[in-house]
Amino acid sequence: MSTKHSRAARLFLAQKEDSQWHNQSLWYVREKRDSFAMGLPEWEELRRLSSEIKRHTITHLDKYVEQFAQQAEANGVIVHWAKDAQEHNNIVYDILKQHQAKKLVKSKSMLTEECHLNDYLISKGIDVVETDLGERILQLMKIPPAHIVMPAIHLKRQQVGKLFEEKLHTEKGNSDPTYLAHAARLHLRNEFMTADAGMTGANFGVAATGDVVVCTNEGNADMSTSLPKLHIVSMGIEKIIPNYDSLSVFVRLLARSATGQPSTTYTSHFRKARPGGEMHIVLVDNGRSDIIGNEGHWETLKCLRCGACMNTCPVYRRSGGYSYTYFIPGPIGINLGMLRSPKEYSDNVSACSLCCSCDNVCPAKVNLSEQIYRWRQDLDSLHKANQMKKFISNRLTYIYNHPKLYRMCLKFAPIINHLPRFMVYNGLNAWGEGRELPTFAKHSFGSMWKKGKVK
Amino acid sequence: MSSKEAILSNIKKNIKQQFDMPDISIQGIQYEDKLAQFIAISKAVGGNVQLVKKGEDINEIIRKLYPEAKTIASNLPEITIATANPDTIATPQELNDTDVAIARGEVGVAENGCIWIPQDVKEKAVYFIAEYLVILLQRDKIVNNMHEAYKAIHFNDYGFGSFISGPSKTADIEQALVMGAQSAKGVTVLLTEE
Repeated sequence: MSTKHSRAARLFLAQKEDSQWHNQSLWYVREKRDSFAMGLPEWEELRRLSSEIKRHTITHLDKYVEQFAQQAEANGVIVHWAKDAQEHNNIVYDILKQHQAKKLVKSKSMLTEECHLNDYLISKGIDVVETDLGERILQLMKIPPAHIVMPAIHLKRQQVGKLFEEKLHTEKGNSDPTYLAHAARLHLRNEFMTADAGMTGANFGVAATGDVVVCTNEGNADMSTSLPKLHIVSMGIEKIIPNYDSLSVFVRLLARSATGQPSTTYTSHFRKARPGGEMHIVLVDNGRSDIIGNEGHWETLKCLRCGACMNTCPVYRRSGGYSYTYFIPGPIGINLGMLRSPKEYSDNVSACSLCCSCDNVCPAKVNLSEQIYRWRQDLDSLHKANQMKKFISNRLTYIYNHPKLYRMCLKFAPIINHLPRFMVYNGLNAWGEGRELPTFAKHSFGSMWKKGKVK
Repeated sequence: MSSKEAILSNIKKNIKQQFDMPDISIQGIQYEDKLAQFIAISKAVGGNVQLVKKGEDINEIIRKLYPEAKTIASNLPEITIATANPDTIATPQELNDTDVAIARGEVGVAENGCIWIPQDVKEKAVYFIAEYLVILLQRDKIVNNMHEAYKAIHFNDYGFGSFISGPSKTADIEQALVMGAQSAKGVTVLLTEE
């Protein structure tokens, strides 16, 4: 009885070279992150501050969201409130309709993925163009992102080359990354030039000033908002932070954690609309205010969406983003999926070896592995526990509670060492699925102790 | 109840325990030679840096750096080689095909090569749309880290500003680093004496 994650991971690993490349590429990002983090003597202090500022902000979020909205409105920005994904999508579409906008250029936003905004707008006849290169590649391939920061990390250059031959009419057989990226530049330049509206997500919303802060390396958020007159920001309420002092802490952590860069190329502050234009902010709840009340899991709201937990995770690196059933993979995605719907996304909680590496790299000190452990304790009550493992656990509890029986089992255990493989590794041994049993010692510690053989 | 009221009241209802704001008076990293560090990190992130001596003509320097540039956009009074003024054009689209744009930075950051550019021109597209971007920065405006930077920056009435660190880049295809994704393919910082 394996989970959907483990079955998908098996397929991923069957492509040996590609999966090794995936593992190594992400580990390389992790190493870059380490070298930049260790370059700052105050790194751990920054992580502590980041966690504490987020704790404070989330537990005073009503005050800060209201302050942010007031400041933004004072700056002439139009603020909207969306309880859920549907309301968010309707608001965005209404704004576009009012402006008779036909083409929308977008910079990367995980929130709009969460709300399935693109499909909704396309069904209403809007031409939606993703402008982050990775996101654009995936949009043209009609597949979802496999990582929240490096969405096309699972693709090889040849696949992109082939796609561009068909869609952008690039040279046949040319899969040089520079050539392809510059072909995409020309293609997207034309989309920016002819767009009626631009949409961005938000890395941070500053309550004291009303600034929306967007970090990119490509400059696509800036291009998306410099040419069209209409700018729509879609942001989750947990993105709001108090002031510039706190922002300076987060900005220093974000790019170093995400990609191992000292900063993203662009850290842009949007405070007002373009001259003669309009700026809208849609503040989205979609379950976030409920998470605040979840005592075991509210700290997931501290997440900065840097993706460091994915890059370091031995399971993510060796199973890839598509093995997870929630649209955000990796340690943070396991937890966010369970908060969205435990029944629907419980297959992912097996995708963790409890090595706790994610906890140690998280720039906001989200206790990711501890939370995954907690979710596993809930599996039985959700009727999602592995029945075979449950059976084994119950038997073992009985054995451990009966010392005579335990000692007898131990005495006979070495027999297993000599049994033919098919008798040990079969459907009855859920533990041995994908793992080797240890060799049982001929004599137990207990029996050796009694005979005085332990010195 | 409006969505705003519903969201705010649900947040209030769900807050169980409140945490205090920590003291953020953190001493960020300090450099003995901020200028040398700024130059080194700017180069590391793919930028170009040139020191400008007092009395040197900036226009001449830019001409030498980009001898093939035909269209040059800037609204800075000291830039006499500009062929387009982003303050007076009708639409930002007119700035497409700009070879070089020239902007003024307010604060440079030694820890990461960021330069704060507060929008001081009608069409901010000028900072992003050109093939190459030249940023003028006074060398005594370099601070150690982002904590100091956020205390030093200002906004103009336009209500936009950006920290820019090197050229636009992407590693979305097989993690291969490519300069010039959607925005400037190259950035030169001219560090002036005043």
